[in-house]
Amino acid sequence: MKVAVKYCGGCNAAYRREEVEEILSKHFEIFYSNEGNLVVCISGCKKGCAVEGVKGEVLHVDGRVSEEELMRMVEKKLKSLR
Amino acid sequence: MMTGKEYVESLKKYRPRIYFMGRRIENVAEDPISAPHVNAAAMTYELAHDPRYQDVMTAISHLTGEKINRFNHIHQSTEDLVKKVRMIRLLGQKTGSCFQRCVGCDAMNAIYITSYNIDRKYGTDYHERVREYIKYVQKNDLMPAGAMTDVKGDRSKRPSQQADRDLYVRVVEKREDGIVVRGAKAHITGAINSHEIIAMPTRALEADDRDYAVAFAVPVDVEGVTMIFGRQTNDLRRLDGDMDCGNAKYATVGGEALVIFDDVFVPWERVFMCGEYDFAGELVEVFATFHRQNYGACKVGVADVLIGATANVAEMQGIAKASHVVDKITEMIHLAETCWCCTLACSYEGFRTPSGAYMPNQLLANVTKLNITRFPYEWSRIAQDITGGIVITLPSEKDYRNPETRDLIEKYLRGVPETPTEQRMRMIRLVENLSIGAELPESMHGAGSPQAQKIMIARRSNLEMKKEMARIIAGIKEDEHFRKIRGMSENEFFSRLKC
Repeated sequence: MKVAVKYCGGCNAAYRREEVEEILSKHFEIFYSNEGNLVVCISGCKKGCAVEGVKGEVLHVDGRVSEEELMRMVEKKLKSLR
Repeated sequence: MMTGKEYVESLKKYRPRIYFMGRRIENVAEDPISAPHVNAAAMTYELAHDPRYQDVMTAISHLTGEKINRFNHIHQSTEDLVKKVRMIRLLGQKTGSCFQRCVGCDAMNAIYITSYNIDRKYGTDYHERVREYIKYVQKNDLMPAGAMTDVKGDRSKRPSQQADRDLYVRVVEKREDGIVVRGAKAHITGAINSHEIIAMPTRALEADDRDYAVAFAVPVDVEGVTMIFGRQTNDLRRLDGDMDCGNAKYATVGGEALVIFDDVFVPWERVFMCGEYDFAGELVEVFATFHRQNYGACKVGVADVLIGATANVAEMQGIAKASHVVDKITEMIHLAETCWCCTLACSYEGFRTPSGAYMPNQLLANVTKLNITRFPYEWSRIAQDITGGIVITLPSEKDYRNPETRDLIEKYLRGVPETPTEQRMRMIRLVENLSIGAELPESMHGAGSPQAQKIMIARRSNLEMKKEMARIIAGIKEDEHFRKIRGMSENEFFSRLKC
């Protein structure tokens, strides 16, 4: 299953944003885009720059998240898309 | 868009005339003196291809609709202004140095805005030339250097009054196909590793100075251009290995050159101002606003690295948990983020100019830069305080690598047992590089010296309005709101109070 990933610019990230992608890539095939059925927007802080200009269903991550919690969020979104 | 590697390779196609320490620099990309500055500039190209940073590193050109490196973008919104400073902070973090490309970006934006205004008044076609030039830069992903500061000679005299009339760049000849310019520009950041040079006047001018009202662009290796690369503190450490440099990969500050124009021919299509002296001051102010906007981002990005280096040193030396160290590092963060607040504020408060391009709020941009003339000195002082005197007494890499002294240094310069001595030495050198030397005067004088910002702040602040506010509150002038609140004047209200 493919999931789009879009990063914010990373100017002052409060956590290591790549951790989110690393978790996702264990479960899905990742591609970088701001368009897709599901776009996981990875923002480094609460400002949420990653969601700007995105088309499609958005899952916004703006802080550190456990693998369990992230997968729960993704599953919920995927269920709503079916 | 070029990658970092492609940018490095692109420099080899140019043959600029560069001198340093009595010799020619024949290959800017590979010479050990210039290579770190090339690496820093290359980062501006490389990150544009990384999906983790593309959102700030790239933009869509309003001229071509193509995706371009944001350094070649003409800002079309306040969002663009904000993304610009986010990009710049990011690059400060990735290089710990000056990556030079913002000057050319600001020059292009400034001439874009001012050429439009010149055309409106005089019916000239500068703006179309600027648009074509920028399209060329965008299409080829070039790096222009911005050259504003003239050498100036006797500062008490205007350009046309100088004993030597060449101490400000001027037009010496006009031909059918272009102009010939002569003069020199000082402290030009990144000139030696740029593809182009965009020259602009450095001050407001009067009618007698019209030959000095000139803005143009030339390739960096055009006939007649000579560059003399300036010395920096500890520059020759680059020849000794990597440890003693502190930041061996990306140097410190941008690498500045004295750029001499010795009767250089510029074709008309690359001339963006010629004689319109009444617009020189505007061009300077617009450029300065864009450039001062940056400093709360680039210097804060570099401060992020210095704060990290200081915290690392504290851990390596076993003092990280001392309450005064925690407090001092927090103060460094406070000072840096204060400057970040300023740069965001001037960006968010930006506005649309008649040309359609956006520029930052001028008052707040000058406040940003004025803070940067002071705060880096304080956060550098704290970094030196925490690191200790060893920041200026550390033995050399040569002694560390020397079999006769290596074991002695390894043993006696160890901090906490878990940290290898070499790592501690590298981190101390980084603190030295970032807090002692060229970085501080660059914070002081880059984008204009402190007095220049104070003049702009005073000019843009509307002091008369603040005086009127005080007169109203002091009861000297009538308060219109008080009358509505109380249904009577202040005098009537207070005469009814029993004292």
